[in-house]
Amino acid sequence: MKHITKIYGNGVLANDDMSLDLNESEILAVVGENGAGKSTIMKILYGLEQPTAGEIILRGEKKCFRTPQDAMKSGIGMVQQNFMLLPPFTVAENVVYGNEPRKNHLLFDRTKAQKEVDELSRRYGLAIDSSLIVQDCPVGLQQRCEILKVLYQNADIIIFDEPSAVLTPQEVDGLLETLRNLAKVGKSIILITHKLNEVMAVSDRCVVMRSGKHIATVKTSETNTKELSAMMVGREISDASIQPVSTGKTVLDVEHLVMHGEAGKPILKDCSLHVEEGEIVGIAGVSGNGQTELLHTITGLMHAESGSIKLNGKEIFGNDVRSIREAGCAYVPEDRNTMGCALKASLSETMLMAHQDEKEFNHNGILQHGKVTEKFNELLQEYDVKYSSLQQEAGELSGGNLQKLIVAREMSHNAKLLIISEPTRGVDIGAMEFIHNQVLAQRDAGAAVLLVSSDLSELLKLSDRVYVMYDGQINGELTRAETTSQKVGMLMMGGTLDE
Amino acid sequence: MNKIKESLLKLWNVLWRPLIAIILGLIVGAVVILIVGYNPISIYATMFQKSFFTVYYLLQSLTRSVPIIVCSLSVIAAWRAGYINLGAEGQMILGGFAATVVAVYMPGPVFLVMIAAILSGMVAGAAYALFAAFIYDKFNVSIVISTLMMNYIANYITTYFITFPLRDPSNSIAIQTREIPVAMHLPRIISNKPFNIGFFIALGLVFLMMFIVSSTKFGYESKMTGLNPVFAQYGGVKKSKVMYSTMALSGAIAACAGMLEIFGVKFRFSEGMFTSTSYAWTGLMAGLISALHPVGAFFSSIFLAGMQVGGQSIQLSTGIPVQVATLIQSTIMLFVSVHLFANFKKRRKKKDVVNLKKAGDK
Repeated sequence: MKHITKIYGNGVLANDDMSLDLNESEILAVVGENGAGKSTIMKILYGLEQPTAGEIILRGEKKCFRTPQDAMKSGIGMVQQNFMLLPPFTVAENVVYGNEPRKNHLLFDRTKAQKEVDELSRRYGLAIDSSLIVQDCPVGLQQRCEILKVLYQNADIIIFDEPSAVLTPQEVDGLLETLRNLAKVGKSIILITHKLNEVMAVSDRCVVMRSGKHIATVKTSETNTKELSAMMVGREISDASIQPVSTGKTVLDVEHLVMHGEAGKPILKDCSLHVEEGEIVGIAGVSGNGQTELLHTITGLMHAESGSIKLNGKEIFGNDVRSIREAGCAYVPEDRNTMGCALKASLSETMLMAHQDEKEFNHNGILQHGKVTEKFNELLQEYDVKYSSLQQEAGELSGGNLQKLIVAREMSHNAKLLIISEPTRGVDIGAMEFIHNQVLAQRDAGAAVLLVSSDLSELLKLSDRVYVMYDGQINGELTRAETTSQKVGMLMMGGTLDE
Repeated sequence: MNKIKESLLKLWNVLWRPLIAIILGLIVGAVVILIVGYNPISIYATMFQKSFFTVYYLLQSLTRSVPIIVCSLSVIAAWRAGYINLGAEGQMILGGFAATVVAVYMPGPVFLVMIAAILSGMVAGAAYALFAAFIYDKFNVSIVISTLMMNYIANYITTYFITFPLRDPSNSIAIQTREIPVAMHLPRIISNKPFNIGFFIALGLVFLMMFIVSSTKFGYESKMTGLNPVFAQYGGVKKSKVMYSTMALSGAIAACAGMLEIFGVKFRFSEGMFTSTSYAWTGLMAGLISALHPVGAFFSSIFLAGMQVGGQSIQLSTGIPVQVATLIQSTIMLFVSVHLFANFKKRRKKKDVVNLKKAGDK
């Protein structure tokens, strides 16, 4: 790929004169912080996005991929960060989807499909039972299914976009093994990640990106994590350790929560935890083990069947969102686009949410626009959000700025309990540090903070205490001193710490 | 100075899209007229002369626009919160009918009867809309379908009443109620012309609606529910409360549309008076053309009313069927629904950004 430049419709410059090359049976790592443009350049290679300028040359031939189908025909496959699988179907059906073997050119040949998939999994050493239903598979197997899908399409170049983001540490080891095997049999692999230990473990060469630009290409054997991270961030990262502050009385006390989903599937099984004043409590776990439901139950967005939730000693189990917020709970939701804002609403409307009943902004049902504008401009400047006017649409802000806006909105409640889910997903390093500092400031001011993050390093850095959730249960509790990523990983997989 | 510029810009942001759609609609209409064998320019000239540029026709267009404006506000009230109320017609029928019955039959001083009539009309319209909200809430019956079907129910039930028990016995041909007392007629601006103060009441409702949507907590919460219900719920907005109140408001406004037509122009409730004129549907179009903005809907409604008046005139004078006007209307509608313009705007913005960047590079 040569001199690729990509400017998105909203004016974001995602790639700036970016070039990279890939040899046969090589593992090339592409590293960079969130928002460095790694995913964008891969989307361009895979035909999901069109470059604004630049060209792609494959085996000496100039190529132009308008769609992923084009890219696939040229032997390029991609394992997406969010799996593109059909959950109610079997592994075999998912793998052949799009290129199904047929009987008489018409009917789907299920037996043949299964046979081909089994054959494929043997050839590449990716053990999987092809008759399993995808939604019953653990995430690691789902990913394997996704890899098989790409192999089935005869890809020679396989792009992995943050493949370890959703995996437990043990599953990651299996994945890295798979990558090595694939390279051995002649596949070329591009690994996008921001986890440097994975880069060191498997890659042959490494491309470093920062704010859309190519910073360096190095041989992995000739570098180390420290050098790479300095290149990624553009400066030495401050590794200030976080001092705990003294904790006070219990703010949130959750006991014996039980919840079932559709068709009686248990989601929360007797879940108990507590958070005290002046501490950050993290919940670790592979996503989908009940964390979202737990937070939604505490905030009143969902209702559990039984249990008890006490906020400042007051029972709030089963109450509605408004009364729980009034009792002193603020919530930064996991997904800023679907829950944290309305993309078509103006910034001031987005900021006003859950503040619309405050006397300052609301006189007998009439909104005080002057006051709203004044306060929110102040708040956004304090949080260093880059915006042009309070009247612009929330969807026009970049992810990091939108996230800062949501954090600002929730933190301005000065609530006793601050619940934060994925505070820095998809935001750049500057915004990330800023948000971390704000969370710590709230803690130091005496708030109780409950934090959920799928970024384990973030979680371990911030949390004074960590609960690990597995299969709807709290599968262990560790203090900051006891916590190591190995222990957390073990607990995340449903194991115990006895050994 | 800056303030004026800003408010002009705001108005432009509301109006530029319908304007372009209208121009494109007229072009398509011109092609059709050309195919039929007439000169589109002269036809359009006649049409606009007989809708906006002669005092007589202008007043007629403005009179016709009153129920359309108010219906568009009714549609906007519910649609902004994400509830698609297609029942403005039924609600205006019931509201107009209830108000007429009270006005004709209730004894007492004119002032009190008038207030009772207005209140019962609004309550009837609101209650009819609330019923649709209720069956959605309890039995998950889609509001789109229930409100649409309830239009027929309202029409046939009122037709029964005015055909039998409440029919005006003095007229053996027309199926209608008695006339409401003269003292209750809305005052006319010019005698002998049907144009009356109803137009200014409608204008007042537009401002009221603007105030509700932009400056009240109720307007804010319903807008957020419409834009993203999950976000609203997350912020503590009670969904069912928003639904019931917006549907009630929508129904009450639709009832006002019916009452303005009856108390200002027709002075009685007659069979098919709201269905054959399709005020509610024209109002719906006006609301959608203007992207649910009350001020935009006000102008769009007047424009559509003028097209209908002008369309009837060209049918009389040239023999081009009135359907050409309908065709132009529908084409405008289609052009508005195409997201063509939104994309066009985006592309232009992107260009600006690129230019900006280039400027920065120097």
